[in-house]
Amino acid sequence: MTPQTVTARTEILDKVRAALGRTTAAPAPHVPEAARIPARAAGAREVELDRLAREITHLGGHVRRLAGPADLAAALAELVAAEGVSRALLWQTPALRALGLTEILAGLGVEVMPSDASLRQIATCELGITGVDAVLPETGTLVLRAGAERPRTASLVPRVHLAILTPDVLLASLQAALAESRDVACATLITGPSRTSDIELTLTIGVHGPKALYAWVLETGEA
Amino acid sequence: MSRAPVRIDFRGNTQQIEPHMAEAVQRATAKFLGKREMLIDEYGRDRWESLRQAGHELRLHTLMHLDYYLALLEERVTEAGGHVHWARDAEEARRLVLEIAQQHGVRRAVKVKSMATEEINLNESLQDAGIAVRETDLGEYIVQLAGVMPSHIIVPAVHLTKEGIADLFHDKLGIDAPPEPTKLTEIARGRLREEFLAAEMGISGGNFMVAETGALVLVTNEGNGRMCTTLPPLHVAVVGIEKVLPDLESLAIVLQLLPRNATGQKLTSYTTLLTGPRRSAGEGGAEEFHLVLLDNGRSQILADEVTRETLLCIRCGACLNVCPVYNNVGGHAYGWVYPGPIGAILAPQLLGTAVAADLPFASSLCGACADVCPVKIPIPEILLRLRRRVVEGDETGPAVLASAPRLAGIAGSAVMAMPRLYEFGTQLLRVVQAPLRRGSWLPALPPPANRWTDVRPFMAFGADFRQGWRQRTPLGRGRDRRRKIALALGASAFAAIVAALLRRPPGRRAHG
Repeated sequence: MTPQTVTARTEILDKVRAALGRTTAAPAPHVPEAARIPARAAGAREVELDRLAREITHLGGHVRRLAGPADLAAALAELVAAEGVSRALLWQTPALRALGLTEILAGLGVEVMPSDASLRQIATCELGITGVDAVLPETGTLVLRAGAERPRTASLVPRVHLAILTPDVLLASLQAALAESRDVACATLITGPSRTSDIELTLTIGVHGPKALYAWVLETGEA
Repeated sequence: MSRAPVRIDFRGNTQQIEPHMAEAVQRATAKFLGKREMLIDEYGRDRWESLRQAGHELRLHTLMHLDYYLALLEERVTEAGGHVHWARDAEEARRLVLEIAQQHGVRRAVKVKSMATEEINLNESLQDAGIAVRETDLGEYIVQLAGVMPSHIIVPAVHLTKEGIADLFHDKLGIDAPPEPTKLTEIARGRLREEFLAAEMGISGGNFMVAETGALVLVTNEGNGRMCTTLPPLHVAVVGIEKVLPDLESLAIVLQLLPRNATGQKLTSYTTLLTGPRRSAGEGGAEEFHLVLLDNGRSQILADEVTRETLLCIRCGACLNVCPVYNNVGGHAYGWVYPGPIGAILAPQLLGTAVAADLPFASSLCGACADVCPVKIPIPEILLRLRRRVVEGDETGPAVLASAPRLAGIAGSAVMAMPRLYEFGTQLLRVVQAPLRRGSWLPALPPPANRWTDVRPFMAFGADFRQGWRQRTPLGRGRDRRRKIALALGASAFAAIVAALLRRPPGRRAHG
């Protein structure tokens, strides 16, 4: 720490303590029960999945339920054609790799970015495919934890974001989702596609983040 | 945004409001409030009230242990590989950010809208040092291109029309754009993409900081917050010291309050928790993270038991949306970064009552702001406390009401206490006004009274009020007057007897 930092730090903390009528550091406080709320209780699996689909659809996202990995190839072919995809950036987690996405995309003529692609290269991708670490049905939220095989850019830079999830990531409450998000440098809660109402309050989908959000629920298998 | 003002002239500012401002602002506020109502119904009113109460308790608890949570936050951010800096005031914060930028040879920076960076006027100081700073929220980008001030904290360009924005894009970007929000947004997206990729530094504020984990939390809709903190190799965040929260469980409470109350969203499109810099090249994100903790008067606010609750604020902007004053004057009238009821209590404390003496009075004290506040800040109480500080002074500051109004008040009360002097004064005014009088009106008065007559005429001074009242009284004079008084007294006595009889308890009446 520089001398400036030490002085400013001491001075600010001293002023805070003086304002609160103390002269020394407070001992570790206990957050009072009155400052807590009960966590939302989970509903039945099907009810929760319906709620998730309803919320995401309401926000302008597209939800699709696939019976299993076998349906992926056909669904991806549709998506690639509909969105005009020629390049894609993928999470390389073992679960996603097991789905054989790279091979399916190659078969569709889509170039998959190498893991050491530059930002400029990533910026040319039309599609980003990620897994999902948790979903919150009440708000239609997807929780994504970043990591070495889980680039943050995949859910941000391409025009289309495809999130592939399995029902076992259902969580009931925000508390639970946040508790699972410690120990990573970046956790992102995604609730619908990028949006703005900045011009005459007209809702416009797709500002800086993805314009299209697809959430595919794989009924069996892993993602 | 201009430098911190020398004196905020709220009344003067209200004379400069663009004609369609109130209409534009009311469209935005009505929309946000309508969506908020629907969401709270869905959430459940009782559940919502419990959530607000928990939010209040939580924020107050944090403030009362602010030193502990700040030290813990610093420890955790440092453990995560981030750098923590402390800034006593705006000047120190600007210098710290500039030093970081210069050490990294930064020429271009991209920025997420943030109240704290506007409060310290960061853009201007970086630009003075030759660093280009680009605002990247669509609304903020538009007002930056137009060179005007934001009018609402959530939708800064709400006072501009799509036609005006199309013209602006033509003039400043050389692009012929149709006046359609979708097309205009598309153009801005393309332009800003290049800026995100080229920038060497991303600048953000922070909605919250989690002491337990060291996470900086950003709540955004467009995705520019994620862009600014993911694409450039360097990320600097400037955050007020009051934005800290104890733990992730606390974050769950404020994240349920903030978007619902601000824009009527269950959650915004993106809620990002950033804990230090990236941990591997593969994940992307800034390689270096700096957090500047800003005091700039906040520790002083904490010292006053009544006004300290100002610091509970989570910047949702709902108090603006419900405020009858804000809805009629818009954000510019408040003369600084923070408008509306929260600005009326925050600006006089951050800038001092000498600068913002007008603002605590820019309220009807209707209390709608306190009713809508997600963390139950007693805004009307704080307004009254600050009015008193302005007029009488207190431990925090001396009285600052300008000497002219104070003297006028003292003189006025003296005159009122002496009827003869008062009568002489009214006679005098009738004579003095003669050259300015046009019929029953005074259409133009010399300064300073022209601030009234520039906008509307002043009524001419008539005869002595009490004399006029005697002449206008419906009771008239003489015998007629005595008859009317007798009649009125008789009617009153009759009414009093009837009322007394009706009010006798039933038990007694039965016995009687």
